[in-house]
Amino acid sequence: MLGTPYSVKRKMNSKASLLDQATDKFNRWQSLALSLLACATTTLIATPLLDYLDLANIVMLFLLTVFLVAVSLGRQAAILASVLSVVLFDIFFVPPRFSLAVNDIQYLVTFAVMLATGLITAHLAAGLRQQARESHYRAKRTQALYQVAHQLAGALTVAQVVEITHRFITNELKAQSAILLPDENEQQLVAAIQSVDLTVDLTFARAAFENGKRVYNKELGNMGYAPLYLPLRASMRIRGVLAVQSTQQAQETTDDLTSLLEALSSLGAVALERLHYVEVAQLTEVKMLTERLRSSILSALSHDLRTPLTAMVGLADSLALIKPPLNPVALEIAQVLQEQASRLSNMVNNLLDMARLNAGKVVLRHEWQPLEEVVGASIKLLGTTLDRHKIKVDLPRDLPLLNFDAVLIERVLCNLLENASKYAPPNTDITLTARVQAQEVRISISDQGKGFPAENRENLFNMFVRGESETEHSGTGLGLAICKAIVESHHGRIVADNQRSGGACVYFTLPLGSPPTIEQEAI
Amino acid sequence: MNTIVANVLIIEDEKQIRRFVRAAVEEENCQVTEAQTVAQGLIEAGQSKPDLIILDLGLPDGDGLSLIRDLRSWSDVPVLILSARTQENEKIAALDAGADDYLSKPFNVGELRARVRAMLRRRARTGELASPIVEFGDVSVDLSRRRVTRQAQPVHLTPLEYQLLSALLSQPGKVLTQRSLLHDIWGPTYIDSSHYLRVYVGHLRQKLEDDPAQPKHFLTETGVGYRFQL
Repeated sequence: MLGTPYSVKRKMNSKASLLDQATDKFNRWQSLALSLLACATTTLIATPLLDYLDLANIVMLFLLTVFLVAVSLGRQAAILASVLSVVLFDIFFVPPRFSLAVNDIQYLVTFAVMLATGLITAHLAAGLRQQARESHYRAKRTQALYQVAHQLAGALTVAQVVEITHRFITNELKAQSAILLPDENEQQLVAAIQSVDLTVDLTFARAAFENGKRVYNKELGNMGYAPLYLPLRASMRIRGVLAVQSTQQAQETTDDLTSLLEALSSLGAVALERLHYVEVAQLTEVKMLTERLRSSILSALSHDLRTPLTAMVGLADSLALIKPPLNPVALEIAQVLQEQASRLSNMVNNLLDMARLNAGKVVLRHEWQPLEEVVGASIKLLGTTLDRHKIKVDLPRDLPLLNFDAVLIERVLCNLLENASKYAPPNTDITLTARVQAQEVRISISDQGKGFPAENRENLFNMFVRGESETEHSGTGLGLAICKAIVESHHGRIVADNQRSGGACVYFTLPLGSPPTIEQEAI
Repeated sequence: MNTIVANVLIIEDEKQIRRFVRAAVEEENCQVTEAQTVAQGLIEAGQSKPDLIILDLGLPDGDGLSLIRDLRSWSDVPVLILSARTQENEKIAALDAGADDYLSKPFNVGELRARVRAMLRRRARTGELASPIVEFGDVSVDLSRRRVTRQAQPVHLTPLEYQLLSALLSQPGKVLTQRSLLHDIWGPTYIDSSHYLRVYVGHLRQKLEDDPAQPKHFLTETGVGYRFQL
């Protein structure tokens, strides 16, 4: 039973601390003194009236005083007033006057009733007063939270959110606080704001952050650390931790304060989450703009480079059309010019393709199709480049349809066939085969040349790497890098190997998948 | 002097490209008119009544597509497009709008002359009464009797295969887009089912080509469509 009034008192104190201090006009001693004064005044006023009033009515005056004291000065003052009233009434009004003695025993009943009434009045009035204070306090708290919510909704930066929350705790709750936010790598919690003389225990903060539960440790408070850690929990995830230490004498944190802080921390968390998504949206927009810029630069560049190259190739060609014909040396030079310009154009194409592939600009146009078709198109496209070799194509008749971007796979096949024709001796075979293996199709192109050098073979697929650094063959070292980028974008792999017989063999794989069915035609 | 066989209109904004295209076309005994913009090109097309238009798709005052559509409302003159290599969509759009063939930049004079010759030949033929019999390689197709023979042996084609064959044969040398072939043979609901077309072209190659993997007549224009070549 002893514990109850104690905790009630604590509660009142902590609530009082949350309120504007001005609502308690007087401290404890002042209100007791005032209570005393009120009783004395009542006695002074009632004494001249003794001739005109019955004692019963004098009692009424005292009860009124007790009631007024209870309403205005609180429970303790009211209890004091009750007791004092009985004593003063006895001394100054009940005969024999000016002594505690009582002639008529029935006055004892009056005293008892008077005391009981006074005490009950004190209790009720004080309860009323407390309720009034509580509802006042709630209204004020709601209003304060509303204001914070309003401010947080308007916050544009994380710093503002942190500042508003911290200021609220400092000004309204008279407490010290710190707000900890995860760093960019989510590795550590870093204090975004911290009251000057508050120290934070990072282990406890971390626990609150990771478990999403509030952590309270009184010992920590006694050691000078913030005792209470609240996770800033938003709908998607936990955005940080709020650490609080109350400066009031009441070292322990009460339920009401905690629930207020929890409301506050969830407001802060929502604001932080909102800002996070604003940032994400902004980043996406910036990225989109960058991409758009990059692709417009690429297309402008490719147009600007291609136009003069087209003119060079064509004009060099058209030298042969001049009438009367140029002499053979000039014609030969014109031919060389044309070849060089074409080569330059191929290199530019390779560079631009690589840039486009690297930038992730290439949108695959996947379609189910027979491999045979793209093989035929590649051989046709290379045309005279393959004249010095015999091309053998070996595709199984029952090869299923494959899902790929025809233009890009044509590019891979062209690059690989062209490489083979470049490095294999003339009049040898270049073989293109396809085989189904497990869940993929392996397409290999092999020649009868020297094969790849033993060392450095994985590097062949890197940009600007060439099998032989000094050769008579032209190239930028981009061909295989482009092949690799394309094959990998199709979820395949590409490998450079040598055959046992000696020649080079490059193979790449394409996943099989499940091709769409073709309705049988009614014949 | 050789006699002029045709009028050719070149619509191209780059002076140096125009210059060698003109030289190449004149070598084919053609008379050349030049235009540098879409607007000018349309006026010239109306005035000089060309037999062939060579059109750069990247003109400064508007896109060549609108020119083709405009032109097609009153003329069926063949149109050869000059376009960048990577712009498959642009080529498809132009072909669907009514262009006949394309060349990717950079191209050499030999290629250009071959295309010009082929297109002018086709134009000359359209006037004649077309023979119902088309022959290529060792294959003979009698369009009037719907009969296909290879090395004098009858070849059996399914109805769809035959439809596809006659669609390709009807415009030799012209690039037919996947979309238009799918639409004409399978119907509008099949426009996105390109695998049908590819599989059936594969059937035709199996039945009518010497080496289906290296076809000589049913050619693939990768990413664009097909071309039948005699």
